[in-house]
Amino acid sequence: MSVQEYLEKHLLSRKIEEAVNAAVRAKAPDPVLFIAGHMRRAAPAVITRVRARQILDGHGAPAVEVELHTNKAIHRASAAGSGALEGAAADAAGAAERRKILAKVVADSVRMINDKVSEALVGMDPQEQSQIDQAIMDLNKARHKAELGVGANAMLAVSIAACKAGAAEKEVPLYKHIANLVGKSATTLPVPAITVINGGKHAGNGLPIQEIMILPIGAKNFEEAMQMGSETYHHLKDVILEKYGSDSCNIGDHGGFAPNISSISEGLDLVIAAIERAGYNGRIKLAIDVAATDFCTGKKYDLEFKSTKKSGQNFKTADDMIEIYSQLCSEYPLVSIEQPFDKDDWEHSKKLTTLELCQVAGDDLLMSDPERIKRAVNEYTCNALVLKANQVGTVTEAIEVVKQAKDAHWGVMVSHRSGDTEDSFIADLAVGASAGQIKAGAPCRGECLTNYNQLLRIEGELGSEGVYAGENWRTVNTS
Amino acid sequence: MAVTITWVKARQIFDSRGNPTVEVDVGLSDGSYARGAVPSGASTGIYEALELRDGGSDYLGKGVLKAVSNVNNIIGPAIVGKDPTEQVEIDNFMVQQLDGTSNEWGWCKQKLGANAILAVSLAVCKAGAMVKKIPLYQHIANLAGNKTLVLPVPAFNVINGGSHAGNKLAMQEFMILPTGASSFKEAMKMGVEVYHNLKSIIKKKYGQDATNVGDEGGFAPNIQENKEGLELLKAAIEKAGYTGKVVIGMDVAASEFFGEKDKTYDLNFKEENNDGSKKISGDSLKDLYKSFVSEYPIESIEDPFDQDDWSTYAKLTDEIGQKVQIVGDDLLVTNPTRVAKAINEKTCNALLLKVNQIGSVTESIEAVRMSKRAGWGVMASHRSGETEDTFIADLSVGLSTGQIKTGAPCRSERLAKYNQLLRIEEELGDAAVYAGAKFRAPVEPY
Repeated sequence: MSVQEYLEKHLLSRKIEEAVNAAVRAKAPDPVLFIAGHMRRAAPAVITRVRARQILDGHGAPAVEVELHTNKAIHRASAAGSGALEGAAADAAGAAERRKILAKVVADSVRMINDKVSEALVGMDPQEQSQIDQAIMDLNKARHKAELGVGANAMLAVSIAACKAGAAEKEVPLYKHIANLVGKSATTLPVPAITVINGGKHAGNGLPIQEIMILPIGAKNFEEAMQMGSETYHHLKDVILEKYGSDSCNIGDHGGFAPNISSISEGLDLVIAAIERAGYNGRIKLAIDVAATDFCTGKKYDLEFKSTKKSGQNFKTADDMIEIYSQLCSEYPLVSIEQPFDKDDWEHSKKLTTLELCQVAGDDLLMSDPERIKRAVNEYTCNALVLKANQVGTVTEAIEVVKQAKDAHWGVMVSHRSGDTEDSFIADLAVGASAGQIKAGAPCRGECLTNYNQLLRIEGELGSEGVYAGENWRTVNTS
Repeated sequence: MAVTITWVKARQIFDSRGNPTVEVDVGLSDGSYARGAVPSGASTGIYEALELRDGGSDYLGKGVLKAVSNVNNIIGPAIVGKDPTEQVEIDNFMVQQLDGTSNEWGWCKQKLGANAILAVSLAVCKAGAMVKKIPLYQHIANLAGNKTLVLPVPAFNVINGGSHAGNKLAMQEFMILPTGASSFKEAMKMGVEVYHNLKSIIKKKYGQDATNVGDEGGFAPNIQENKEGLELLKAAIEKAGYTGKVVIGMDVAASEFFGEKDKTYDLNFKEENNDGSKKISGDSLKDLYKSFVSEYPIESIEDPFDQDDWSTYAKLTDEIGQKVQIVGDDLLVTNPTRVAKAINEKTCNALLLKVNQIGSVTESIEAVRMSKRAGWGVMASHRSGETEDTFIADLSVGLSTGQIKTGAPCRSERLAKYNQLLRIEEELGDAAVYAGAKFRAPVEPY
């Protein structure tokens, strides 16, 4: 090929002239840099490689990290590790065995991403999120047929990395790219549901429910919400220290305290005391994540499932639980109850939702699954979705279930996973999808703070355009 | 044309304890930007550079809006136009001219705040690496004149006591160091396995509550004396199958329980009804350490005495310093002047490198070079309030410190550093060298 043919084939002279003209029009202080940037933007991004490695999540467990290479940059994402192990196989295994299984799942996922996924995605445009996700889903289905492995987390990491690459190519922030994929604007900062007390399976106290959270609904912006949340958290530490001693101030898996209490009321009283001490009465509401599946036996709920000496008085029917929840909603500013019943108890979840006392958020009940959400919408089983992106599998699927929930006028709480990493994707997802709520743990532990810090940056970037969900936390963008 | 700094923006974000800290973005003329965030400590030495906090009631007095303002309104405008690869020039400009405050030990950063200056220094360092199109660790190595890169031995903080935990344990940290691993990746495997075995042992012995974690991801079981902590570690290492491959380190933070009046160390300082019956002299404490060393595979003791107890330090270093590194944290606060004094007086034989104690990248590098030329070990370290910034991982490789202390394999603000080291080791490929048993002197001084 001659020089002239090369120049003509690639339209080089024209492209360079256009770039020079653009630099002149802009009166760029550094024309060479300007021209370089202009030429770079003229070249479409294409995925050149996908590479995975094992890293460690916030619990020191193996997790998958993905680097998606385009011809312009490298984009990295990681997804929670331990959330991958769910179901009977995981339940049966002891802690050491679970770690071995997880390490193998992660190693298999790394290999699959480096081979099959990379091969499938090379050549694709990172802006085509749905096509990329479809390719990932197809590979995942083929894999599921071959073995009963779980690859959702690893596939999500690929999907997120592609999403970041797409945002970079469009030269917009990630949350705006997600908003474009959703088809709406993205200016709403979510109300944080901040974990302050841990109970349930993973805490050593007698509290049967998994989490108590505070929602700074009365803040004027996200920054103030975090101020209210972190101050209340620190005051709670003091309250617990005074009442239960210093042993109770170490933290659980999501950064909450685990004081030596055994009833929900005791926990809520502590939180109320902390809110009062911080001076935020009336501006902070409460939420609980019951994780009732963990203490449901047959059709009964054992509120003393963690106790070795049971009183026999705390073995409740589902209707008893409804009575308890009603009482709590009338005595405390409790506005959200997550997973109040066993994941298969659709009947009583519906009863509670029908009372319209508070938001009833489906976690295990829905598993972010479109079919289950559809059924729950039709049957009025709950009125909010807890969105855990790795339960869905890809960014595209996550966006679809958000739309589904919002079309039904449900609340949407974007949630972290136990075993998160330092990736802050869910913060951008919460803004981009106008979720209105985000649950990312306590203002403690890096895997929790990384999301809250990202939301502070997003709010700063949006400036006066940013709107804090506040009182509209359940109804953002559903009007 | 050289790439220059075109904008600087600071903001207040949260560290891993939910306290405010400073984050800075530095924008460059090529359109890219670099970001740095500052850690902060809970047990700070009195000779550390000043960390500027707002006081008042917001954030219980820990706000950093003044420091943020100092970056946005003073430092930022002053460094616009500068070349980010000129780290020494920019650091000296900030420290000596823009701030300019000093005390007997050197520049103390009292006017603008060490947290303001350091955040910019870190971001500039990352920006410099971007401009040169080399990894951050290579850029740091070049700044230091270090020709040999080494992956550090991780010192995992697995048992917490002192001011970081709610138990009665006087000594602040017990660490495990996988010196017998063949690579950093294997060291992580060893560390994680010992950690989880320790968790099982603690759960059986002290209950589920005891497996909640402290500020740096370590467990804080309700143990009554320090030797019990060592026994737990020994059992966990054995159970994991790594006896002889994993050794023990301690961070005593003795300043926390030193009594100024009677010059004693109170091992019972966390007891509410403390009758003072467990107060001992510096010499007795020294003998206690020696008995631990003779009974357990301890190879590192950090802050064994008060930051002003130079003479007892020197005795311990003289008596067991060959076998055990004696690390100065509060004693040195990463300050070149104090390091020089300690070298002369043979007070200790290792530096704990905490960039926010001194407040700039340039001064940190100088303290390390001095230490290495004196034949000392260097342990790069996190603080108890960290963010997801991974700078110290690249710092520990770039300076070939040979050791890094950044918490337990728990909590992502700790794991972020370890994960970065996994990436660096992978990137170096066959050229990667793990410090291993040579962690105290992994490379020739530079």
